[in-house]
Amino acid sequence: MSFTVRFDANNQEIVLAGAIRPHSGDELIEVRRTLDHALDAVSGALYLNAKRLVQLNNAGFHEVVTFVRRACRQKPDLRIVVITSSYVGWQERKFSLLRQLGPNVVVEQYDKAFYPGQSVLEDSRFIPVLRTQTKLTWRHERKILPRHGLQPGMTVADVCCGIGDFAVLLYKEFQPARLLAIDHAPQSLAYARRVATDFGIDAIEYVQGDAASLLIDDNQFDFVTCRHSVQVFDRPELILKELYRVCKPGGRVYITNEKNSHCLGEPRAESIQWTYNEVARLWAYFKGDIEFGPKSRRYLCDAGFDDVRMESFMVTNLDGDPQDFADVVAAWEGFFAGQMAVQRGDSAEFIARFRQGFQDHIFAALHPKGYAGWPIWAASARKPR
Amino acid sequence: MTASYESTAKDRVFDIVIGTGLFAADWSNCDRISSYVANLVSQRRTDSLRYANLFSSVLNELLEIAFRCHHAPGEIACTVYRGGPGDSIELSVPCDAATRTFYESAVAEACRADVAEHFVKTMLDEHRFDPQIGLMALAADYQAKVALDVSSSDRVTIIVDFVLDELAR
Repeated sequence: MSFTVRFDANNQEIVLAGAIRPHSGDELIEVRRTLDHALDAVSGALYLNAKRLVQLNNAGFHEVVTFVRRACRQKPDLRIVVITSSYVGWQERKFSLLRQLGPNVVVEQYDKAFYPGQSVLEDSRFIPVLRTQTKLTWRHERKILPRHGLQPGMTVADVCCGIGDFAVLLYKEFQPARLLAIDHAPQSLAYARRVATDFGIDAIEYVQGDAASLLIDDNQFDFVTCRHSVQVFDRPELILKELYRVCKPGGRVYITNEKNSHCLGEPRAESIQWTYNEVARLWAYFKGDIEFGPKSRRYLCDAGFDDVRMESFMVTNLDGDPQDFADVVAAWEGFFAGQMAVQRGDSAEFIARFRQGFQDHIFAALHPKGYAGWPIWAASARKPR
Repeated sequence: MTASYESTAKDRVFDIVIGTGLFAADWSNCDRISSYVANLVSQRRTDSLRYANLFSSVLNELLEIAFRCHHAPGEIACTVYRGGPGDSIELSVPCDAATRTFYESAVAEACRADVAEHFVKTMLDEHRFDPQIGLMALAADYQAKVALDVSSSDRVTIIVDFVLDELAR
């Protein structure tokens, strides 16, 4: 039985994590102390965060019941907010019982947006763009991945797999012994399963999960990929910690990220440069770091990895059909200028100039003598044995 | 302890037999066995991780009941069956008269028409933890069908049928 119970006084939050399966409540004396300390320390509201609680038996739940009942009795005005995870199937039903303990007990399912623009990226109309992006990057990554240690026959997890197209390409090229593809969006997974079925591939396991709290045991995979995703989370270290945890000792974690301000094009370089600098600022406003790419090495080292390998590659309009590149940029314009900038409250003048840079990037991509680029940093590192 | 895994034969997917002495020596055996079996039997489900998590919860509750109430010496036998979207677990426990009475009572409670309400009332009783509550939880939380086979004079077999696919999506 491995679990942690931690009280964060600043947030008035008790965080339960792991598997709590005691024989009796008496085994949870330390937990009781933590809970009682929390109850003494808080006023107004107490948050009981169970998002990362993977298992809880009835004896453990009885302890929770006893605590919540005591809290309701000792502090009748205290609002007790229980936060559950939609990824752990038993939680909602079990914790909803706590509502019966008092009018101030609230049970909420954690379902906040993980990153800015999530609803747009998971909109089915965005799927063709995501597929085109993967098509463009795969030309490079199929050659890059072996340099980072990927070999046929490995056990592989693709965390934040999105619509699953990268997993399909990886499966076809590298024939992994096991391929688990994880994403938090059920609609993306439904699409991924349909595509895999259409392609006659039944060996990819598509599963739903939170990248910061995976329902996977420690040390499971030889190779763990997480592409274009660390950069959109506000706490990238939490994702890397999970990638580290599920990777086998001696295995490798592979991440790709961008530095959007380095997108470029000729002609009309100045306008393009201005717009992508603004893209970086826009993401920063929404707590994402679309400039993460070159920081990969530092973050991987800080997460405990060694043997960091890192390289960059430039997706360009010369990678196949220039229209593919132009289509991706047009989708970015719609997403960044049409939605995120509007959501930030930018002026019409700003948005017009912002859009112009994307249009100029498209112009450069389709120009018979033009050049347009999108730089990406691929980094991998080994989990020490 | 012996275990065997069969991929398709007659829908029986997993057997595990463990001596009561070995099993009852360590409470964490319930967690270990349920996690191990859940990972094995959840392959090729729509969402194998979520399925394994739920399956582990179900099997753990059963194993915890067996841990709390069995007659030694003897063996505890657990068999998992699969049929379409549903699973079935049969847990056979050596018993004496008192053990048999315990399981008859626990299964009767789990089969009550008002099991959901009864489960809530029992679970929210802060003064007492009812060791029979595991079977009630399976019936109330997982809509499992719980039955008891008492045809053997020295064993009882708890039979639990349940469907987790919808919960695991």
